Amino acid sequence: MLNREENEVIVHTGPGTPMGEVMRRYWLPVLLSWELKEPDCTPVRVKLVGEELIAFKDTDGNIGLLDNYCPHRRASLFFGRNEECGLRCVYHGWKFDVNGNCVDMPSEPAESNFKDKVKITSYPCLDMGGVIWTYMGPPDLQPPPPKFEWTQVPDTHRGVTKVKQEGNWSQALEGGIDSIHATYLHNNDITNAARYEQRATVAHIEVEPTDYGYTYGSVRPVPDLDGNFVRAYHYVMPFTQLRPNQNTVGRGDSPPMVAGHMWVPMDDDNCMVYNWTYTLAPEPLSDELRSKHGPEVYKYIDVENGFRCVWNRDNDYGIDREVQRTKTYTGIESAANLQDRAIQESMGIQYDRSHEHLATTDRAIISARRMLLEAAKIVEDGGSPPGVAGTYYGIRAIERVLPENVRWQDALHEALFEGEGYSPAV
Amino acid sequence: MLSAQDNEMITRTGPGTPMGEYLRRFWMPALLSEEIAEPDSPPVRVKILNEELIAFRDTNGDVGLIDNNCPHRRASLFFGRNEECGLRCVYHGWKFDTNGDCVDMPSEPAESNFKDKVKVKAYSTEDWGGYIWAYMGPAESMPELPEVGWAMVPESHRKVSRRLQENNFVQGIEGGIDSSHISFLHFGLPPVVRDDPARAGHSLSNIDAAPHFIVKTTDYGFVYGANREAENDSYYWRLTPFMLPFFTVIPGGTGNPDERTYSGHGWVPADDESCWMFTYSWNASRPLNEGEGHGASFLEKEPRTMRAVMNKDNDYGIDREVQRTKTFTGIEAISIQDSGIQESMGAICDRTKEHLGTSDSAVIAMRRMYLQGCRDLLEGKEPFVPKKGSAYRVRSVADVMDKKVTFEETTEKVAVGAT
Repeated sequence: MLNREENEVIVHTGPGTPMGEVMRRYWLPVLLSWELKEPDCTPVRVKLVGEELIAFKDTDGNIGLLDNYCPHRRASLFFGRNEECGLRCVYHGWKFDVNGNCVDMPSEPAESNFKDKVKITSYPCLDMGGVIWTYMGPPDLQPPPPKFEWTQVPDTHRGVTKVKQEGNWSQALEGGIDSIHATYLHNNDITNAARYEQRATVAHIEVEPTDYGYTYGSVRPVPDLDGNFVRAYHYVMPFTQLRPNQNTVGRGDSPPMVAGHMWVPMDDDNCMVYNWTYTLAPEPLSDELRSKHGPEVYKYIDVENGFRCVWNRDNDYGIDREVQRTKTYTGIESAANLQDRAIQESMGIQYDRSHEHLATTDRAIISARRMLLEAAKIVEDGGSPPGVAGTYYGIRAIERVLPENVRWQDALHEALFEGEGYSPAV
Repeated sequence: MLSAQDNEMITRTGPGTPMGEYLRRFWMPALLSEEIAEPDSPPVRVKILNEELIAFRDTNGDVGLIDNNCPHRRASLFFGRNEECGLRCVYHGWKFDTNGDCVDMPSEPAESNFKDKVKVKAYSTEDWGGYIWAYMGPAESMPELPEVGWAMVPESHRKVSRRLQENNFVQGIEGGIDSSHISFLHFGLPPVVRDDPARAGHSLSNIDAAPHFIVKTTDYGFVYGANREAENDSYYWRLTPFMLPFFTVIPGGTGNPDERTYSGHGWVPADDESCWMFTYSWNASRPLNEGEGHGASFLEKEPRTMRAVMNKDNDYGIDREVQRTKTFTGIEAISIQDSGIQESMGAICDRTKEHLGTSDSAVIAMRRMYLQGCRDLLEGKEPFVPKKGSAYRVRSVADVMDKKVTFEETTEKVAVGAT
């Protein structure tokens, strides 16, 4: 439970808010790389931590991220002409380069130097791991690039997609780092007791703080199994989770993979959920797996409508009560984060934490909140929040069956922190 | 640039707001006459100046403009029965005439005199120039009906329309009195332009794209002139009258000014985040031809909302390939180019963040006039309102004139009948 003041701190990320200032100290995902197809492509609307922006790729292939509003009379640059190394407003022809300089102002007299005095807000961008990232904080505090292992593997070894979620970013994060819900919400075959998550209905959650956030494990004592089923995750400030998906415990015949999410605030009422996965095997992901973590999800997601899922609150996420009675826990399909989104959006657009009742399985959530509130104070006091340095570069999420008397913190230490760079293993 | 306070002041028009009270001292177009063409025709919803109203034409042909909500239990009179000289609420049968008097209250005992104590809000209306005009201000301040060009000609000589725009009305007006955007927003872009070395990299207009604006205050508001360099030591003058509180006449093609067809728009606040663009075209010398008049009057609209079918939900149908190769915007109709760009500024443009240039002088003049009107009211003074209908007998000018002709001399041509 948080009091109202703390809740407000976590929820609001616009310019000048405490959490907004925390967010602005990290590289933030803006778009998937393919959304800016080629030089001089169509500009794309972006909403990020409460700011309305326009992304474009200029003639030289440089990425620009500018204020949506032309500084002249505030027309949207979405309608702009992306041409000859700049984005030109279609209202009066003012033109801006990727650095926000006004490079042409044809509506003013030739002798005017007004052009040299006008700038538009612009943020630096980089294209890494299939995602375009930006940094919106103080220029002198720009952190090193987000070299998560998944951003460093070849494109052939990775899948990354996104979907819009119509609720505050923080309840999406909390849903993601909550391990125990998988036993219930994601039970997609209520008649099959073979899944370890189903065989153990409780899990011990153990959180180990790190300098970028924490690593945490869910330990499930599975009946009839000689040991515990352990899933060890990472939470990287401010909104990233790494999740194991390694097939060590009979999840079909997929290769050993690590997956994860980023719950990126668009504004206080919406977030963009980036879902990614990559393989630790030397071989690329199979076509089938790449499709499952790529194009296939866009059957359900309306790319043209801001990546909103076709199953949404307007149609109760397509819940099928007969399926719920007989086949799955929710009656909601499992594709495209649908079950998670449904339940997280159902908590209200901005979740009110003054009314909740947290239990022992919510330890990871409690830790994340503490860390975020602490970070807000650190930034307000002029310091650097955790996770801006590159200390998370080599981390992986791991799952194993471990003997009962073995601590995962010891047994998996090496696997969880393999060190920098990509080294196909297992 | 405006302060946040001034921006609030000119954009909010609900009852009791300074701008709302200022606008309530003018006659406002509320809807088209043809929307309630017949006696006892279906009532029409009207939202202006943040008030929800219902318009109807009674059995005798008189027009009523009354509160949307029945004073009994606040049901909407939109569902009302328009019959026997009054609009009857379908909830309990209360009936109101065009003056707002309750003329029947069948749900109360016959001996009750409650009927005589209840009124519904009703405004004065006039059927004038193809519009139903409303006056919503203090009776003692009512001006004469404005003798606007399209009202002074027979019905066959004019074409009028209205449509909803999803932005504050001030943005609409500012687009209407901003001549410099013509060279950009509405400009064609033949593919040949890109290959023309003389034009590479800079001006996209074959006329001077940076006109010099001059503004002159008049008895109807102001007139502003934008002159562009033209051939043979002359200027191409475009003069736009701004008639208070929000009417413009667009400078069109050149030719005999008495025989030209003129068009313009007025932007009436619906609420603070949307407005009605009223469009009018007229010709004093002859009936209009089929299809003649401003393009905005021929847009396809959603029947219920009266938005254009090309709207913000479909990005105004922007075609990026057309934008690359043919036109500046890739948006088809001129009027949609305007509403698209005006709506893109946000429902209420944040004028604390803008950067006005020399080409924005008419915009600045208009804001000053509004702010003055608001401040006068706040100080208990009556603001300037043209009381004489004849002040509105003006039109636009588009003409190539010798450079020796002064701005003062050109503005005289705005008055109807001038040569």
